[in-house]
Amino acid sequence: MIELIDLTKSYGRIRAVNGVTFTAEPGRVTGFLGLNGSGKTTTLRMLLGLTRPTSGTALINKVRYRELRDPARHVGAVLEQGISHPGQSGRAHLVTHALLSGVARNRVDPLLAYVGLADAAHQRCGAYSLGMRQRLAVATALLGDPPVLVLDEPANGLDPEGIAWLRELLRAHARKGGTVLIASHLLAELAQLIDDVVVISDGTVRYVAPLAQLYGSTSARLRIRGRDPERLSRALQAAGALVGTDGGALDVTGLTPEEAGDIAFEAQVPIYELVRDSPNLEQLFLDLVTAANAEAVR
Amino acid sequence: MIAVVRSELYRLSTTRSSAMSLAVVSALGITLGTVSADFWALIAGAGAFGFGAIGVTQHFQHRTAVLLYLTRQRRIPVLLAQLVTALIVSVGFTAVSGASVLARGYHEEYLTTLLVAPVMAVLGAAGGAIARSATVLFVGFTAWIVFVEAAYGRMREPFPFSAYLDATTGDLDKLPVFLGWALAAVVGALFAVRRDLTGD
Repeated sequence: MIELIDLTKSYGRIRAVNGVTFTAEPGRVTGFLGLNGSGKTTTLRMLLGLTRPTSGTALINKVRYRELRDPARHVGAVLEQGISHPGQSGRAHLVTHALLSGVARNRVDPLLAYVGLADAAHQRCGAYSLGMRQRLAVATALLGDPPVLVLDEPANGLDPEGIAWLRELLRAHARKGGTVLIASHLLAELAQLIDDVVVISDGTVRYVAPLAQLYGSTSARLRIRGRDPERLSRALQAAGALVGTDGGALDVTGLTPEEAGDIAFEAQVPIYELVRDSPNLEQLFLDLVTAANAEAVR
Repeated sequence: MIAVVRSELYRLSTTRSSAMSLAVVSALGITLGTVSADFWALIAGAGAFGFGAIGVTQHFQHRTAVLLYLTRQRRIPVLLAQLVTALIVSVGFTAVSGASVLARGYHEEYLTTLLVAPVMAVLGAAGGAIARSATVLFVGFTAWIVFVEAAYGRMREPFPFSAYLDATTGDLDKLPVFLGWALAAVVGALFAVRRDLTGD
């Protein structure tokens, strides 16, 4: 379990992270969402003991990172963009870290195969693509078989196949009872992966909840296209719906698809298209951030 | 600490550029040693400083310091292990590069340099931990030697590189001066190593 309690980091007068508090539970994937510069990376660096907090506490399984014995066996981290020495081979990189963390060297080759780098094991890291370097970073994080994984923008540079692979890897880790905290600004990728969501903007946490709750907190929106949009719009509004339009189709909130279909039938407007717009994590995130910014201005 | 030393030595031996430069500078030392023991001592000192500095600064240049400090959170033992690694590498490098000096019968010069050059490696490694950049360190140290030690001190004042050269040429009274500079750099590094690791 990861616990962040009132974590704050100031650089002079600037508060990069301001009283961040949330928990990432075992068996779940927690998404830490924020735009670039919102404080995600600084928060993760404080969690991992790379940056000293100005105040507050970050705990992993009830212990500060700096106090963990054999941290590689407790926490695996993927930070920045595939860190490795360009003059070392992928295999030598992993052996170096196996020696450093006291992990058996015989874990290296199976891990390279697991992340799909067996064929490139003896190639210099400098010749790796960004996606290969990210795979190597994941292998480095998994060296000690840790129950907690902390990842900062791990999908950067991965191709669609790589992203699907990473998604399955992280879901499998959570299914086995592991804790996964993943920071990203690629919201569409996270929507298919995370169980819980933490939204941060301007260094302040704006929202903490299960993803399902975030989706449930918004009204479902319908997109309706019919022969006579004006008559249909009037009929839907008369039934209490909120109706907007992009010129071609109507965006309707406040009605179920069944209700909208019945109203169109009664109004004798043929319907060509009626779909429910699934809540969009990107839109929800932007709504939350915009609302928070507006509140800050007031 | 032993794990860090083993890991650092393995990293050095498997990083092509590091292994190549070690081989090239050793060959240069052997060649210059056939001409003059003093030339060899100069190369041994400069090489030891360079290998000590690069061993530490490479971690910051390629961001592997992040992985190092994630695995070993107590930074002072990590720094001490890096200094020990610099010592081990420089002893090996000095011993091999001085083969021609030894063969020519300059036993005293060989042994004195073998004793003093590793201190230069410690100075380089500690300087690397403070500067966190090989370029900054090398430019800064070169400027120091040219303007302070050579132009101002005429290589006679108790400054680090002057003291190193004096010590390797048999003036062992200068060894404590040189050790003092190295110790001061290590103390500076012990404080500097606590700084945050900033993002890239």
